Amino acid sequence: MNKKILFLYVVIAIAINAAPTSCRGIYFDNNAPDILNPKLAPKTKELCYDEFAVMHSGISRTPLWSAEYLVGSKLNIKVDRTNDFRPEMRLSASDRAELSDYARSGYDRGHMAPARDFNTIQAESECFSLANMIPQNSNNNRKLWAGIEEATRALAKQKGKLYVVTGPIFEGSNLQRIGGRVLVPTKIFKAIYDPTDNQGAAYLVNNAPGNNYQVVSIAQVEQIAGIRIFPKMSPASKKNAMQLLALQKNENQHLIGEMASSNNRVKPMVLAYNKPASSMQCGIRKTCSKMSSCEEAMFYFHKCGDGRLDRNKDGIPCNKLCR
Amino acid sequence: MMVNKQFIPYKNESDVLQFGDMTIENRLDRITIYGNIDITKDKEGLEYALLLKQVIDTAIKELENTDELPDRIVITEVETVDNPFA
Repeated sequence: MNKKILFLYVVIAIAINAAPTSCRGIYFDNNAPDILNPKLAPKTKELCYDEFAVMHSGISRTPLWSAEYLVGSKLNIKVDRTNDFRPEMRLSASDRAELSDYARSGYDRGHMAPARDFNTIQAESECFSLANMIPQNSNNNRKLWAGIEEATRALAKQKGKLYVVTGPIFEGSNLQRIGGRVLVPTKIFKAIYDPTDNQGAAYLVNNAPGNNYQVVSIAQVEQIAGIRIFPKMSPASKKNAMQLLALQKNENQHLIGEMASSNNRVKPMVLAYNKPASSMQCGIRKTCSKMSSCEEAMFYFHKCGDGRLDRNKDGIPCNKLCR
Repeated sequence: MMVNKQFIPYKNESDVLQFGDMTIENRLDRITIYGNIDITKDKEGLEYALLLKQVIDTAIKELENTDELPDRIVITEVETVDNPFA
């Protein structure tokens, strides 16, 4: 392509994607992210839903981002429900992913905006649209990423309100593709902006098994994603990563959000747990004052599932012994 | 929880059941069950237990009635393509 035409194309692409959003009440100051990497721009379409918004790519046939406005006080409702994964019929047949693209691929249909974030039946149902999905490693989706989603809801409850933008990252010269149509992201980000204190940060994980994750600044994640995620956030505040909730791994591999120490890069903490002495047996219910060691408390808490040993619900039993 | 339509394992790629912290997804080559749940000693616990039993029972029936059930399913091979965004 002629350089002049390429330049023109880039300018038009950026101009189109910097246009005001038609999805109201989802983005910080109603400003949708701007696409900075011009190669991401072709075949994009913004889709508004009841409580979230998606920028969809007809090239990857995934979202480039899903955006939400989380209000902590609204996050407590949990309802049992049936739903349907389905293709997004607002997209053209050539641009959208189909259920058959994911079938027998071994990949999960990973939500970018997760079902448990929503309050209305409409929004919860809508988030099962494939326009909100990426091919996600199943271990990642069900453990680490589920923990990050839970930690984000916990942070929204603490802070009151958060703007959250979640999306895939496609790195490297080669990518994997499923169904002959849908590109598999190499990484996933969840960028969080706290409007009360004008601060933000992002979780960043590989689309792979394991519990490792990074917390990076908004400036860093914008550079990696090729997207200006929060256009109205000041460049100065983008440079510092706010404190996000760290994920703590317990015996059952469930990840629980917990307040991290003040460093920006948080490594997941792993609770030490050694094989218990043979005298320990489930069935005998013991109180913390009857325990002789933290190990013993860990045994009854994790192996026997005695939740009463963790009164303050911080994921650690008998704080006097184990803290 | 009312399952307002029949969940027939392996019949489609769309059905999802969510209850407690559990998710059950229907796929053509598997049903995926993840999360955790308390089967409490109350009416809700009974409802959840029956729902799980119904899903597992129909899965077993479906598997037993499948001719030439393979030892392991075959995952479609993923392709490697140029990154259009790089």
